[in-house]
This record gives sequence, structure tokens and C-alpha cells, in this order.
Amino acid sequence: MKALEIKNLKKSFQSNFLIKQFHILKNINLSVEKGDIYGFLGPNGAGKTTTIKCILGIIFPDAGEINLLGKPSNAIESKSKLGFLPEHPYFYDYLTPVELLTFTGQLFAIPKDRLKERTLQLIELVGMKGKEHIKLKKFSKGMIQRIGLAQSLIHDPELLILDEPFSGLDPIGRKELRDIILSLKDNGKTIFFSSHILQDMELIVDKVGIILEGETRKEGKLSELISRSVRNYEIVFTGMEEQAMKENNLDCIPRDKNFILRAETNEETNRLIGLVNRGNGKILSVTPAKMTLEDIFLKEISR
Amino acid sequence: MRVKLFFIFLVCIAMAGFLQFKYDSHTDYFAEKNVFVALPPGQTLKILSFGFQDLTADMLYIWAIQFYSTYHYNNRFDYLEQVFNTITDLAPQYKEVYIVGSWIMALEAEDIEMTLRLLDKGSRNMKNEWIFDYESAFYCYKNLKDYPRAVRYLKKAASKPGSPSFIKRRHAHLVYMEDDLRKAYAMWVEINKNAKTIIEKDASFKHLYQIKFELDKQVLESKVKQYKEKYGRFPSDLTRLVRVGMLDKIPLDFTGKEYFYHPETGKITARRMFKWKRR
Amino acid sequence: MKIQTKLKAIALNTFKEAVRNKIFYLLIAFGVFFAMSSKLVSLLTIGNEAKVLKDVGLASIHFFSVLIAVFTGINLVYKEIEKKTIYNILSKPISRSSFIIGKFIGLAFTLLVALVSMAVIFFFFLFISTGELDSGILIFFLLLYMELLIITAISLLFSSFSTPILSSIFTICIYLIGETLWTFNLFKEYLKTPIDKFAAHFLYYILPNLERFNVKSAVVMKTGIGTFHVLNAVLYTAVYITAVLVLAILIFNKREFK
Repeated sequence: MKALEIKNLKKSFQSNFLIKQFHILKNINLSVEKGDIYGFLGPNGAGKTTTIKCILGIIFPDAGEINLLGKPSNAIESKSKLGFLPEHPYFYDYLTPVELLTFTGQLFAIPKDRLKERTLQLIELVGMKGKEHIKLKKFSKGMIQRIGLAQSLIHDPELLILDEPFSGLDPIGRKELRDIILSLKDNGKTIFFSSHILQDMELIVDKVGIILEGETRKEGKLSELISRSVRNYEIVFTGMEEQAMKENNLDCIPRDKNFILRAETNEETNRLIGLVNRGNGKILSVTPAKMTLEDIFLKEISR
Repeated sequence: MRVKLFFIFLVCIAMAGFLQFKYDSHTDYFAEKNVFVALPPGQTLKILSFGFQDLTADMLYIWAIQFYSTYHYNNRFDYLEQVFNTITDLAPQYKEVYIVGSWIMALEAEDIEMTLRLLDKGSRNMKNEWIFDYESAFYCYKNLKDYPRAVRYLKKAASKPGSPSFIKRRHAHLVYMEDDLRKAYAMWVEINKNAKTIIEKDASFKHLYQIKFELDKQVLESKVKQYKEKYGRFPSDLTRLVRVGMLDKIPLDFTGKEYFYHPETGKITARRMFKWKRR
Repeated sequence: MKIQTKLKAIALNTFKEAVRNKIFYLLIAFGVFFAMSSKLVSLLTIGNEAKVLKDVGLASIHFFSVLIAVFTGINLVYKEIEKKTIYNILSKPISRSSFIIGKFIGLAFTLLVALVSMAVIFFFFLFISTGELDSGILIFFLLLYMELLIITAISLLFSSFSTPILSSIFTICIYLIGETLWTFNLFKEYLKTPIDKFAAHFLYYILPNLERFNVKSAVVMKTGIGTFHVLNAVLYTAVYITAVLVLAILIFNKREFK
């Protein structure tokens, strides 16, 4: 049984009777295996949040099938194994973390004692111990995000859906979140998150789905996607004059005060190194580089 | 800078005060004037009050009290009936409105027919209240001097539950004032029989005494006249009337004592006189 | 039962949110203030000050509690949608109907608290001023609470799809219609065509007739209110709010939240 399966999801909006329908989701297909960390990747406006809202029943799809842990997503009980963290978490700001988690837990009908236990556990897990009785309106964005994560876990869900969880976090926060996600995976949970920040994704995901303009463009295990990519070499140099670079037809990318060249084979690398040297440039580094997720992504966009 | 602004403020306030003073000396707040009052009819106000009709009735009543106490409004009585009709349409069971309205109508506006209309409305709407008919009876007696009408009102009042005993006494007295002495006498006997307080006993006694006197006086004086016509002069005393067979026996006053007979004039007087018939 | 816990959670949360609103306290304060000012007003009347005291007092409580019912109700669902806290609810295993019902229960409880506080203060004040404690006034408060429940249900209905300003206008309009609906019986004989008759009767029965809750006269004049009347009012309320909430659920079930 797959943790989450979406087939041929379509959704369009019409803001009023005069404007033609705007198709925001044209054809979404994805499948998330149990126990995986799935990265849902796409630029702003591609339809990531809309897809997630369809999964949760906040929006109703025009067509298509969504199955959560084997059951259709519109069944109420499907949601009892699902945890959700929205992109901009808004909670009742007059509540304290403890009150919010208690309230959330009651919506899952978790028994009182167990709920109390879980609340304390989760507050500690997200690093908010000591602040659990301060009203949420005094919290910073990062702190609210942590509490959001806690409330998504209160009922020990099997599947966790996070919408842009890394946005707005500082590097420490990001690391902590990555650690938490990995430890959840170790506990057998499935995590599905959307992002447009590729570095974080690359570090933790098992499977990736790339969405563009409402369609799934590419889906597959990260290891496969990247291994299919071509190894190349990255040459960083400086000191060459623009004139000289043009004469030699050097197709280089500027980065800070230096330039970068990419070569796909050993021979090409050597040739380029020679050109730079003859042009009085200074080689700063030669690094074998894998194609990054960013590269894959940008390539898809350009198609 | 601050001082300057404060100074300007003081000057402006002083000027405003001065202008107000000037205005006041030119205006007579208590000048006699005519007013115009437009009031929707009761049913309309009931709808417009959106369920707050008692409050509206109260507010109108309080306004009316103030309005009718403003004596420099010349024509305020033009609206009197309309105002009180509206209030009583909104709250038909509001006893005080009928009473106070009737006071204003009778005592200030001096329009008794209007008063009676209002009191009749009260009597219709509050079937268990005797006070309205009683007040109507009073106005008929005192102001209109229409005794039969007063009697009708008193009858109505007496039939209402809880009507006090003095209504019967007023009724009996009015019957007396209408010169139906025998009926009045019978009524007073009834009252005297059922009298529970000293006042009742005392009053009924006095009335019975007077009425008996008047009744006896009529009989005796007519017999005396008869005697004179037959014998050419008044009898020397009343026993003569018995002796000649014109009278069965000499009536005594209500206390069982004799009346005084004045042979010179042929008139009968009593030991006590109660003068009620001042018309 | 599981669903009870969930409903209770939403209701309690709604209550907490409602009592945070300063307007709520302001309206209660005004209600009490005006009820007490009845003492001053009663000084202006001739005779029967107790009647004016009760009339003004009960009318103020009635008026302000209606305002509380309207304004608390319209904000609640709208705020959840505005502030997107609704996502937290909809992503949980709780049906949209349970959400609406839970919200209504929370509002009903809030109103109960408000009304009871005003009633207690007013009773106390009445006792001090007139020395009498009238059980009829309790019936007034009971029927007033029924009326408020209907108004709250309607404001919740509008709140589920409309902005606060429009919701408040619509709800107040329906309240005013409800208070004057009885006049239909005055003019229905003037309806000639069958279409007019049908439409008018249809509207008459669909719109809430709030006149049945207007017992202020009977209570103050102590003319008595029959058990039939009270029973009818309670049943009418139960049935009517069910209908309105079902309508709200139907509308809310179809809503999408961007």
C-alpha cells in the first residue's frame, strides 16, 4: 500500500463568470512509498500548495483520484493518520503551546492522559521547552513553525504533509528540521514535503516529484535521477581578460569575481585548462561535480 | 508657543460664552408659542417599535407628562386626545395613563366629554378595574351635573370586582339627589345593614335620618295643608291630624324622636338637618 | 464518544475566542448600564415606577443581547477563514458539519453566560429597587434566550459565506423582519392573486416569527404566560435552528478555501 497516491488530478478556478477558467492543476500524478521522504519540487505558482489542499479536502478537485494510505482522501478517518503543517501556520494566537496542542489532540479524540504526555514530549522535541505557557502571539515566526510541527505530530501520524516547511528558517533551524524529519523516518513515518529550496531537499529526500505549471514533469528516486546525470568537472579560474575569453570561445559562468567552466570529459577538461593558462588566467580549482538537483530542475524549466 | 495656543483657546471660549450670553438676552425661552406635534397612530407605532411597545408607551407617557407641564405652549391641548389615545393603544393595560390623562383632560383642559371618552376606553380595556367608571361618575356629578349619567357609571363601577363600599354610598346619594327618595332610602337601609365600619354606619345613619325626615316632611306638610284647606287654619299640633283621621299615626324621626311642628307656618323641622342639596 | 470530544473541543475554543472580544464585554456593560438607568427614568413618571423600571430594564437587556448575538456570531467563522486557522481544523478528522455545530454550541454557551450575568445583575437591582422577585421574569429570560439562539444561528449561517459587514446587515434585517412578521396577518386579506398569496405565505412561514418571544408586556403586567406558549416557543426554536444550521452546513460543505 502506498502512503499517498495521486492519479490524474485536475483543478481549475474561475474568479468570475466573465473570465475564462484558469487551470491551475492540469495533470498531477505522484506516488509516495511508505517510509519514504518525498520531496515535492516546483517553482512558485506551479500548484504545489493547491495539490496539497486537494489532498486535505480544503479544495475539491475537478477530476482525479487521491488515496491516503489506501483509502480515498475525502473519508474523514483518513485524516486521523495524517499530520499537516501549512506554509504560513496560523494558530489562535491567544492560546499557549500547551493549550493549542491540547485542542488539536482533542480533535483527534486522544485520551486525556496520553494527550498530556504527548504534549510534553512534542514540546521538548521541537525545542520549545520552557516556553510552553507563553501565548503564541508573542512568538517569532520560527517558533510558531516549531509549534506547527508539534501540532502536526500530536497524534503520531503515519503520513506527514509539510507545505514549504523550510521557508523562513535560519540555517540552524533548517538543520534541526532535517534532523527531526530523518528521525521520524527512522520511526517508520512517511514524510511528504514541498519546497522550492533545493539544497535542503537534496540532503534528505528519497524520492522527488517535479511539478511545473500544474503538471508532474518528472518523478523518481533521487539516487536514480542524479546518477543518470552526467558527471562533469567544474573549473574555477580568474585573471583572464574578457577579450581573451571571447577569442577562445570560453563559455563561462561568472561567480563572484571568478569564472566557472564546465567540462564533461577528462579531455575537454584538459583542453580548457590549457586555454586558461595560455590566456594568462589563473586556475583556482578543478572539482568533479555531480549534477545537482538544481541543475535537473533548471533543465526541466528550460524545456 | 504653548502659552500662545492656550491663550487663543481661552479667548475663543470667552467669546463663545459672550455670544451665548448675548443670545440668551435676546431670546425668551419661556415665550408663549404654538407647537406642532405629529404622532403616528398607535397601531403604526406598535409595528415600528419592533417588539418594544411597552417601552415606547412608557417613553411617550413620560414625554406627555413633561409636555403637558410646559405651560407656555398655548395649543398643547389640541393634541391631548391623540397623544393619550396613542399611548393607550400601545399599552392598553397601562392604568396610570388613563388616570393621569383624565386628570389633564378634566382639570386642565376642562373638556369633560374627552375625559369620559378616555375613561370609557380604560373601562373597556381593563374590565376588572372599577376606578375608571368611578371617576367618570364623579365628573358627571360634579362638572356636568348629569345625575342619571353619573348613576349609570356608578352602577358599572359597583359591578366590577373589588369595588369599594363607598361606591354604593355614592350611588345611593345620587339617587337621593335625583329626588327618588324612596329608592334612596331602600338603598341606604341595605348599606346600613351591611355596614362593617364606623364610617359606613355613621354615614348611612345620617342619610337615613335625613331621607326619612324629608319623606315624613312631605307627608306631614301635605296633610297639614289638607287640614288647612278643610278647616281654614293650620292644626295646633300633629295629634289633631290623627284625631280627624287624616293620619294613622305621627311618624317619628329615624332616632325615634318627635319632629318639631311649627303651627304658624305649617312646616316641619327635625332635630338634626343635613344639607346636601345645594345645587 | 469520539465525536463528542471533538465537538466539545471546538465549542470550548469558540467560547474562549468569543469572550476575548472586547465588544462582547462592552455590550454586556451597556446592557447592564441601561438597565440600571431605568431607575432614573422611572423617577420621571407618575405612578407605577416599578413598571417603567422593568420596561426599560428588560428592553435594554433585550436590545443589547440581540447585538451580542449578532456581532459575536458573524465574526467567528469569518475570522477563521480570514486568518487561515481553518486549515488546521479542516486537515483534522472532523467533518465540516461537526465544525459548524461545534461553533454553534460554543456561541450558544457564550450567549448563555452573557445572558445569565445580565439577568443576575438585573434581578439583584430589581430586588433592591422594588423589593419584589418576579418568577415571570425568568420566563422572559428563557424566551429571550430562545430568540437569541435563532439570531445566532442565522448570523452563523451568513458568516459561513459572507463578510462581517454584509452578515451583520442581513442578520439585523432578518431580526427586524422577524419582529414585525406578525403584521402579515393584518394585510394578508388584501392579497388578491394566487401568486401573491402563495409567495407571501411561503415567506411568512420560512422567515422566523419572533413575536412569540415578546413577553415583556405579559411579564410586567403579570398577565401570565401559558405553558402552551412556552412549549411552542421552545419547540419552534429547536426546529428552526436545526433548519438554519443544516443550511449553513450545506453551504459550508461546498466552500473551498484558497
